[in-house]
Amino acid sequence: MKSAPFDYHRPSTVDEALALKDELGGDARILAGGQSLMPLMHFRLATPAHLIDVNQLDDLDYVRRSNGYLAIGARTRLQFVLTSAEAASAAPLLVEAIGWVGHVQIRHRGTVVGSVAHADPSAEIPTVVLALGGSMVARSTTGEREIMADDFFKGPFSTALADDEILTEVRVPVWPDGTGSAWLEFSRIYHGFPVVGVGAVVRLHDGVVDRAAIGMCGMAYNAITAPVDALLGREPTPEVIAEAAEAAVAGLDPPGDIHGSGPYRVRVGRACTLRALTAAVAAAGGK
Amino acid sequence: MTVPAVRDHSKETTWVGKSIRRIEDPKFLRGKGGYIADRVLPGMLHVALVKSPYAHARITSVDVESARQVPGVVVIVTGAEAAELCDRLPDFGPDPSKHTWRVLAHEKVRYVGEGVVAVVAESRYIAEDAASLVYVDYEELPPIVDPEEALKPGSPLVHEALGSNVAYERTFVFGDVDAAFAAADVVVEDRLYWGRSGSQPIEPVGAIASYDTGSGQMTIWENSLSFTSYLFMLAGTLKIPSNRLDVHPVPAGGSFGSKLWAVKPAAIAGMLSKLTGRPVMYMEDRHDALANNDHSGSDRIFYVKLGLTRDGVLTGIKLHAIEDYGAYIQFGVGHHGNALAQVTGPYRISAVEYGLQAVLTNKNQQGAYRGFGSEVNNWMLERMVDLAARELGMDRREIRRKNFIRPEEFPYFIPTGNVYDSGDYEPVLDKALEMAGWDTWQAEKARLRTEGRYIGLGLVSCQERSVFSATEFWFWFDEPGAPVTSMPESVTLDVDALGNITATLYSCAFWGNSPETMTAQLVAEEFDVDPAMVSVVYAGTGQGLPATGPGGSRFTVMIAGAVEGASRKIKDKAFRIAGHLLEASVDDLEWNDGGIQVKGSPGIRKTLGEVAIMAHLFKHALPDDIESGLEASHVYDHPYTTMPSPDRKDLGVFYPFMGHACHVCVVEVDPETGKVDFLDYVAVHDCGTMVNPRSLEGHMIGGTAQGIGSALLEEFVYDESGNFQSGNLLNYQIPTSMDVPHVKCGHYETPSPYTPYGIKGGGEGGRMMAPGAIFSAIDDALDAFGVRMRHLPATPERIVEAIEEAQR
Amino acid sequence: MNLKITVNGTTYERDLDPRLALVDFLRDDLGLAGTHIGCEQGVCGACTVLVDGTSVLSCLMLAIQAEGSEVSTVESLASGSELHPLQEAFWEKQGLQCGFCTPGMLMRAMEILDHNPRPTADEVREAIAGNLCRCTGYQFIIESILDAADRMMDDPVEGALRQGLKVGTI
Repeated sequence: MKSAPFDYHRPSTVDEALALKDELGGDARILAGGQSLMPLMHFRLATPAHLIDVNQLDDLDYVRRSNGYLAIGARTRLQFVLTSAEAASAAPLLVEAIGWVGHVQIRHRGTVVGSVAHADPSAEIPTVVLALGGSMVARSTTGEREIMADDFFKGPFSTALADDEILTEVRVPVWPDGTGSAWLEFSRIYHGFPVVGVGAVVRLHDGVVDRAAIGMCGMAYNAITAPVDALLGREPTPEVIAEAAEAAVAGLDPPGDIHGSGPYRVRVGRACTLRALTAAVAAAGGK
Repeated sequence: MTVPAVRDHSKETTWVGKSIRRIEDPKFLRGKGGYIADRVLPGMLHVALVKSPYAHARITSVDVESARQVPGVVVIVTGAEAAELCDRLPDFGPDPSKHTWRVLAHEKVRYVGEGVVAVVAESRYIAEDAASLVYVDYEELPPIVDPEEALKPGSPLVHEALGSNVAYERTFVFGDVDAAFAAADVVVEDRLYWGRSGSQPIEPVGAIASYDTGSGQMTIWENSLSFTSYLFMLAGTLKIPSNRLDVHPVPAGGSFGSKLWAVKPAAIAGMLSKLTGRPVMYMEDRHDALANNDHSGSDRIFYVKLGLTRDGVLTGIKLHAIEDYGAYIQFGVGHHGNALAQVTGPYRISAVEYGLQAVLTNKNQQGAYRGFGSEVNNWMLERMVDLAARELGMDRREIRRKNFIRPEEFPYFIPTGNVYDSGDYEPVLDKALEMAGWDTWQAEKARLRTEGRYIGLGLVSCQERSVFSATEFWFWFDEPGAPVTSMPESVTLDVDALGNITATLYSCAFWGNSPETMTAQLVAEEFDVDPAMVSVVYAGTGQGLPATGPGGSRFTVMIAGAVEGASRKIKDKAFRIAGHLLEASVDDLEWNDGGIQVKGSPGIRKTLGEVAIMAHLFKHALPDDIESGLEASHVYDHPYTTMPSPDRKDLGVFYPFMGHACHVCVVEVDPETGKVDFLDYVAVHDCGTMVNPRSLEGHMIGGTAQGIGSALLEEFVYDESGNFQSGNLLNYQIPTSMDVPHVKCGHYETPSPYTPYGIKGGGEGGRMMAPGAIFSAIDDALDAFGVRMRHLPATPERIVEAIEEAQR
Repeated sequence: MNLKITVNGTTYERDLDPRLALVDFLRDDLGLAGTHIGCEQGVCGACTVLVDGTSVLSCLMLAIQAEGSEVSTVESLASGSELHPLQEAFWEKQGLQCGFCTPGMLMRAMEILDHNPRPTADEVREAIAGNLCRCTGYQFIIESILDAADRMMDDPVEGALRQGLKVGTI
């Protein structure tokens, strides 16, 4: 299984990369970790005429916390974020989810930003970024814009990035003190891709949920957020959590495949949501 | 043939039974394994196949013009052209002229992934580039995917010439089935389904062919091809004389049966080398391995009834099996021979009715996968014994004990006519239960239930046949076309002038088993040398003696017989030489400690080395009739095969060396998701005398891991239109280290009375036991719901469905 | 496209087709056939090598992406006729059957023991989850790696070096 031929470009600066993307447009794909793109190319499901390799762009290798969010640059490896104390304190849900992504070898090359740009509907990282209310920084030769997660993920493998844009940074807002989170996924084999994945974040204030978010993958055509009204303003008792889990999957009609039918995914989604919420509440200092 | 003599195994052994480290390993540890893809011939070309996207379609046109223009492409061959270049592929099926199997699809495609066009180019990269530019027009035909639909008249035909999708059907009756069921107070019945998975070794199949247009000699290297006696069939396919084909075995990166006879890649490479006059490599990639490998495991529906008395004595079994073979049937129904070898398990069931329909559908065909059809029968039988236990409210351990064949009853003939040479089943069960701590886990199960957790204990007692005979391929027919009776293994032992020994093996012997270590230990035992000093090499068929290879767990037993035979011939000659040198009669000599001495006078002796140098260099010092050299070959045929009766109510002895095992496993099931986790796992096996216990344990554990894969994870899925859904490893999921438990291994040895040292085969057993044990445990974990799992694999969704169904 | 790369201590310069995978470069261009191809989709781990000391899947990396890097493959472990203690451990414990996953497993094991010189069996089992083995059921591989840990700590020079390394989970 060999990839089709392509022209390869290795810019040494971000500006060079942007210039290339501007010139080549939709005929060029960005090669970062390659852990998602190369398998597609080996199956010839992706046959880009050009690859722009961003692995030389040291300027884009960072994890930094500023202005209430955690910013991750495009060249930052999953394994680096996984072991970053900064990331663990600022965005524990993201770090926890990364721990479920493939295996060490994959995480040594794969990138957070690459995963977001790839927008696999079954992947952990886009789901978490969506749940946390993150945003994406897209740059082109003409400037830069910040795209909120809700607007960024258009559909399976489809984002709001324009043909002349490169995703250079992913931002995940830091939730306030009193927040607990948990990522739970159901896969057939250990760290196989998730059949269903749920990320839950809950912030408690005086024992009551004053902020919450739930993100899910494997429950619709794309990653989605689930309603949290059943939690807000209430003490997160097991009954309340169960109600919230039920509400999270109510009305969902997940597309089925060999790994799980729609009804099965609803059942598993409900169970994972319940467990993720329970763990998030515990992490937040609740019971 | 008569029953072989009962052997005396009282002699203590030095090397047999010792867990020495393996002779094979250093080259693999260094990355110098010499696998097929590691071989490079000058000017070698590479192949990529264009494969069918349809399950069933007529090929109406093939356009290769754009593909031909790609620089580096040497030749492109369509199915129609291949049908001229090659005859049909070798086929042991019931009617090969009607279910004709070819290297490339000809006129129509019969499954998604079937090869349609072969592109030959300077590199695999270029070959794939060109393959993407081949345009094939198809006229879609209605696919036939469900085997029970395929049985019905009017369903689409996979092979029009056959006139039906039923390639074979027959019902066999062994023993007095009516009486057995008349004696039954209770009959339990069920429909069970074992879905197809496959061996998927990490290394796929690959072949290199080199045709010398000058001499007409075809040399093929492949990580496959045993059955050297049948290589004339491959020569026939390639349209070359049988004595111009030389096939060299190459170490295989795993096989588990699928590389026993992977003849299509060899034929593809051979055809293309003959056409181009250059060496050609065809290496399956993972997609080829999944979609087009011709070695799917069994795919079998059972309708089965088990009769028993109200005290739990099993009387008889009636089953009807519908086997989905896919689009071709290269091994006929040999998988059911494997089942019939041990169809009644370790139990004294006196009568069997075995109905079989072999059905063709639009899927890749079956081949051989660890157990070769017997593991399916094990699973089915243990499912039924569990059902019987449940029906009577009887303990699963006790119903098995009650029905075990007793140790004094061996050799024991089962209703089909096959024999179990030796065994002692209760101690194996007892040991497994003790190692698992059955009662402790039962208490734990009850305790954890109060915490809302569902754990279960599973148990199976099953047979593990070894060393198949040739008859199991043809006793299906009253008038078989080729009632072959040879299925040998061979070895050549050469003692050089310094007394160093080289053993030459034939066929594809290495695929992760330990043929070199086994051979070295056996030779060491004969000649009192260190196994590390024995050199083991592999010969191609051109220099070859007939050999079958490591199928049906036969290799160690068969090579033991071959080594024994060759050693005897060498010792006969060595005794004559020593007698001459020592001026003693051969009758006054004995072998001892690496040499030949006068009985009672250990000082009067010659070492093997001293004899050898005389044999090699000093002909004139020896009797006239002794030829120079000290080498012998032995072709060892199956030692215990008897012919089937003409009416086929007795199939004769065809798989006599019968191992046995008990697996106990403890699982936790999450009823919300259906996920199964292992809490404990015990495997106790009796494979007769063990040659290298550590090596055997490796196979027990590895086989168990594959059994876990088949039971819970792995499935080749075709949708209702025949679209193949398992074409990559994200969909076909193989267990990782975290998906299998630590397996506690135990051993028990009932030596075979008929084999050298009492060895029985043992490589397949793990996979033949695990699925039944796991299903037993899942049912037990969910007994509060009354669940019974009937469909393998027990995916999480199927478990949830079973819970929901039980709750309705 | 130009590539300058050091593999097992030797530096090479080549002009390559950009789409050539690192594993194909190692095997076909350099004749280092020890690194194996099992899936070409990043699942089986058989192609694992160390690039600048870090385990990666060489089937998913373009050869030219290893520009300026140091790559270590299984061929770097033995010293002439002497096997590396890790290889000796695998030999002693029968940590292989067909040997096809072994090179990738060995390179991953080197990394595991580098980061965690005294891992537990559970830690090893988890750490090798990215390397599929179809033959062994993993158990003797785990025993081999644990045995290698002992051997490598017992080696006076190796052991001292390892004591000084960061110890932690992977």
